[in-house]
Amino acid sequence: MLYEQDAVRTLYKKLLSFYPRSFQEQLGESMEQTFQDLWNEKRQTKKGLFGFVLWTFIETAMGIFREHLLLISLGDIMQATLKTLGSSALINFLLILPFMMMEVVNRRNFNEDFPILLFFGMWINLFAISLILLPIVRGRRTGNHDMANPVPAQENTLLTNPKSAAMISVVLILAPGILPLLDSLGWEPLERLLNGPNPEQLYVFGVRVPSQFIALLLISLPVAAGIIAGRPIVSTLRAGGSLFVHPINLIIVVFILSTFAIGLANLIIDQWPCFIGVPNCD
Amino acid sequence: MTTTNSTPPLTPAVLHILLALSSGERHGYGIMKQVETDSQGKVAMGPGTLYGSLKRMLDAGLVKESDKRVDPEMDDERRIYYQITGVGAQALAAELERYQRIVTIAQQRKLYPKTFAYVV
Repeated sequence: MLYEQDAVRTLYKKLLSFYPRSFQEQLGESMEQTFQDLWNEKRQTKKGLFGFVLWTFIETAMGIFREHLLLISLGDIMQATLKTLGSSALINFLLILPFMMMEVVNRRNFNEDFPILLFFGMWINLFAISLILLPIVRGRRTGNHDMANPVPAQENTLLTNPKSAAMISVVLILAPGILPLLDSLGWEPLERLLNGPNPEQLYVFGVRVPSQFIALLLISLPVAAGIIAGRPIVSTLRAGGSLFVHPINLIIVVFILSTFAIGLANLIIDQWPCFIGVPNCD
Repeated sequence: MTTTNSTPPLTPAVLHILLALSSGERHGYGIMKQVETDSQGKVAMGPGTLYGSLKRMLDAGLVKESDKRVDPEMDDERRIYYQITGVGAQALAAELERYQRIVTIAQQRKLYPKTFAYVV
């Protein structure tokens, strides 16, 4: 029994280590002590010990998730990273660096130039997005982050303003789409890079450009829906409420996030053979 | 005690914690037990919810950490105690006043306690 208690306590301590550092430093010891007290109480009654452990671990895990979500939604990370234009530029470069490395690896067997323009375009797009986000992040600093009703802060927040959420999601989706669009329009460096021979102009303007625009707008809709559906969840969490107060919104957000995650995972799996150098991969 | 109308509404978790601390300093487990007693067993607050709320309450100055000491009713482990602050007491009073006004309105509209008669 003593061994069991030690094992559970160690596991709980491990779980607590997933809290954000500041939270852990401030309240970790108290939480551990409280868990021990609850354990002792349950051990004395000698019933529902397993249920108690399961419930406490799940409840604490949800608390960890909530604290991280709050940390992100309060903009601490974004405020730090997007503080200056210089750091924005650097971060955006670091974001595209893995793709550049992949490109170098993929092209190691071909005698082609490194597509510097493509990556410059990617970097410019990301930088433009961060420039759009910068005033929003700065605006958030004036917000009210009380544990009570956060309504006064709503005007300044990305996640609580449907208009800005919709705008940002469209920009986020359209910005990376500029490259294929330029490619469709016959911009030569990209054309050479992505498609080989120049396709017929009629086909490009009649079919590819409109279909790409429609496709991009269609993708931006679920992103906007996800951000708008996430608004009340963020507000409730910021107010110290439960994650499950808005179950429908939660389902929408989880569904959209998992769809995008699955899409991203599929893309990585699909491209992985090329990355590891499988011949004739596509 | 003075109350302010500008104080925004509190969440149920924060209200319960403030209510539990209004009768004296308590450690985490003590707060949980008091909340359970105050709500007649209807509110079971887990450590994640309790400490998540406590973190925001500490940041907002509604509660503060007290000294670390042994609870004579429990074992010889030293525990961190939490106590309500002046701001916390004001927020609690304002919230209770708000509840009081709601109950008064409900009584004026004959919704309370007659509502329960309709259930029968």
